[in-house]
Amino acid sequence: MSTAMINFTLEPDASGGLVFINSAGVRHEKARPVRLFPFTDSNAWISIVSAEGKELFTVEQLASLPDAQQKVLREALAGREFVPVIRSIDNVSRAANGYNWSVTTDRGPTVFLIEGDESIQQLGDFRLVVVDDRNTRYLIPNVNALDKKSRQRLERYY
Amino acid sequence: MIPTPPIDPSEALYQYAESRLGEGERIMAHFETDLDASLHFHSGLIVLTDQRLMHAEQPRDENIRFKSWKLPLIDDLVLEELGATAVLHLIQGGTLVYEWRTTSGSVREADAFLARFKERQQALRLDPAAVSTTGEEADDDEDDEDPFATKGGVRSNPLLRLLFFAKPWYKLMALGFILTVSATAAALMAPWITMSLVDNVLIPLQSEQDRPHVKHIYRFAVNLGGVAFLTWLLNWGKTFTIARLAERVTSRMRRSTYEHLQKLSLTYFNRKRTGDLISRIGTDTDHISLFISVNLIDFVCDVLMFIGIAGVLVSINPILALAALGPAPIIGWMVGRVRGHLRGGFAAASRAWSQMNNVLSDTIPGVRVVKAFAQEQREVERFRTADQHIFDTNDRVNRTWSFFTPMIELLTDMGLITVWAVGAWSVQRGYITVGVLTGFVLYISRLYGRVESMSRFFASAQRAATAAHRVFEILDVEPDMPSNDGSHKVGRLKGEIEFRDVKFRHGARQVIKGVSLTIAPGEMIGLVGASGAGKTTLVNLACRFFDVSEGSILMDGVDLRELDVEDYRRNLGLVLQEPYLFYGTIAENIAYGKPRATKAEILAAAKAAHAHNFILKLADGYDSMVGERGQQLSGGERQRISIARALLIDPAILILDEATSSVDTETEREIQAALDALTNGRTTIAIAHRLGTLRKANRLVVMDDGKISEIGTHEQLMKSSGTYARLHAAMLEVTHV
Repeated sequence: MSTAMINFTLEPDASGGLVFINSAGVRHEKARPVRLFPFTDSNAWISIVSAEGKELFTVEQLASLPDAQQKVLREALAGREFVPVIRSIDNVSRAANGYNWSVTTDRGPTVFLIEGDESIQQLGDFRLVVVDDRNTRYLIPNVNALDKKSRQRLERYY
Repeated sequence: MIPTPPIDPSEALYQYAESRLGEGERIMAHFETDLDASLHFHSGLIVLTDQRLMHAEQPRDENIRFKSWKLPLIDDLVLEELGATAVLHLIQGGTLVYEWRTTSGSVREADAFLARFKERQQALRLDPAAVSTTGEEADDDEDDEDPFATKGGVRSNPLLRLLFFAKPWYKLMALGFILTVSATAAALMAPWITMSLVDNVLIPLQSEQDRPHVKHIYRFAVNLGGVAFLTWLLNWGKTFTIARLAERVTSRMRRSTYEHLQKLSLTYFNRKRTGDLISRIGTDTDHISLFISVNLIDFVCDVLMFIGIAGVLVSINPILALAALGPAPIIGWMVGRVRGHLRGGFAAASRAWSQMNNVLSDTIPGVRVVKAFAQEQREVERFRTADQHIFDTNDRVNRTWSFFTPMIELLTDMGLITVWAVGAWSVQRGYITVGVLTGFVLYISRLYGRVESMSRFFASAQRAATAAHRVFEILDVEPDMPSNDGSHKVGRLKGEIEFRDVKFRHGARQVIKGVSLTIAPGEMIGLVGASGAGKTTLVNLACRFFDVSEGSILMDGVDLRELDVEDYRRNLGLVLQEPYLFYGTIAENIAYGKPRATKAEILAAAKAAHAHNFILKLADGYDSMVGERGQQLSGGERQRISIARALLIDPAILILDEATSSVDTETEREIQAALDALTNGRTTIAIAHRLGTLRKANRLVVMDDGKISEIGTHEQLMKSSGTYARLHAAMLEVTHV
């Protein structure tokens, strides 16, 4: 598992997946990268999983890979992942079965419904993960970095 | 404020025994018996001092009878259970010289007493010089406290005990007090100013004799405004300071209560209901906070104001003051009467709330069972009963209350009328001016406006006292399992376990009846036997969740009781039938026993526990939330996480309590692979009903009714066709049907 002995190759495939070629030259088509700690340490511990769901390799530090491989892996991750980062909370209103949040994220403004307190999870001291009713995850990396209005809106519900 | 407690007969005996102590003699333990020789209820007290064993009892209408025996002369004290009663024999010179009877409910205390007795005798045997010298012993000072001391503590006023919790913030307390006094003084200034406003400005103005007085009106207005502003400022500071203090005090109470709870043994938690404990730490401390920050401070202000106003009034005109303050004693008397009624009411209300919490904490986690048995209606009914109880107790309090408050208002009005009447008469006679009368009325209405809230203080004080008492009740429970009994630091154990004639009593029931077994380092023992045979109890003893009643457990040759508990438990890995996951991420749950574990360590543990592959498939990987509110995991998955948790701390001793019982055979196979990684090279005690789980065990130990009935390998035990063979046959029968 040590990153010192990187003897595999990653290639992008047509469908946004990866081709993993191990040291013996065996090709694993349609492999996919999985972040093991997507919120607490997103650039470390990335697992390459085969189409059958078997783990092929664990990359300990993304940065330790050769640049070309890193690029392939980062792109594959970017293509699969969708965790918008909430930049500001613009409005929170009561809905029949929860709260409608209007937010501005790094991927643009959006509105989603969260069902209750348990949809907001605290990971670490200031990091929050908001899970909406369609199971999309939104990340607030640091509560204190939000603007004052957003924090006030958040405080009322969390 | 505290009722005088009824004199407990055993306390009288205790005090008597204390009076019979010799010079330098100390009481080390005591035991209350509740039967006499003919098995009639009758209380007696056996007291162990460092020199003697004493016995005191008081036959009906007679003087206390007292006997004592010198410790070195006593051969033995033997406890024997006879059904619902027990007998304690005192043997001296080889013969039975005395015996006490008691109901078997107190057998546990008797055991504890005997243990102290034996310890003391042992100490005397080693050091005979200690007899009848006044020398102190270094090894026992803390536990030797007067056993009634804690009870006495409970009885002492719980509100006064709150002061102890406020001690660290004495400066804040002093500031609060100064602000309170100044705020009250400021509030008293306004009527004083009004008095001269009326006499020196308004009345002359009305008689139109002296126009220039108009100028003074502005001066008075400015003064009154200034006083109002000052009062507001001081009140703000006062309220904030006191609220801050109240929060600190109650936060400290909550923390120390929770800390204390963590020190208590499993026995305590088995006895207590979760809802009740939660409501004590949550709701009761909140009552106290509210009391300090609102009621107490108001009351202090009111008392200060009362004294201030009374002083001012008497100095102006004693006769009018007397008339104005007349109703005060009547109100005081009424408050006293009502207090008694309310006291019981609030205690009942507090209990009713606990009861309701219990219903909730019982049925919400058990909701699957409720639905499965279609008992929703019954639970609703149960909740309704609990709620009705709250309703009734509050109703009772309200009944007293609703009469009381208007009654005080009536008395207040009567007081005011008296002031007007006496005042008018005095003005007419020229004893006082109109201004003075105005001032009087202002003062008095200010005073009586507070009487109602003053009387409310007693109700809230009563409620707070009840709440404080319930919190202190937890704090006063002596940890029956001292957390740092032994100071022996073991570091990493090799893992040799020896049970040496271990006996254990749970309440009146003897659960373990003499178990001797030596487990070599790295050996795996399979513990089998019918339910209730004492397997889990034996394991709990090895974990030191309980202490053995007799005999001893040795770890690497050292008595478990001499080891530092926390240090010892670091050597212990525990996998239970129902894996408990805390609310948090999977990574946090795996690292529970070693919070500083690196991510690499967590991954390695999860891989060894065969948990990595399913964690990989979760949307958030190791950052997935699990526990009560988190991601739903299957039983097998939860179990593998708990195995990873045990693996991560790399324990020397591993305890598997039915680790695979709650999962299907397919999952069991997966868990088994994880368990094999875990047990490898560690001393393991595994309890299992599925005997197949124990195929790797070096030896199987069969338990039957608190004793070991057979030991051997699977083959040996099958050949001997004893209990094990029977269990095995029964199991095959079940699985083949």
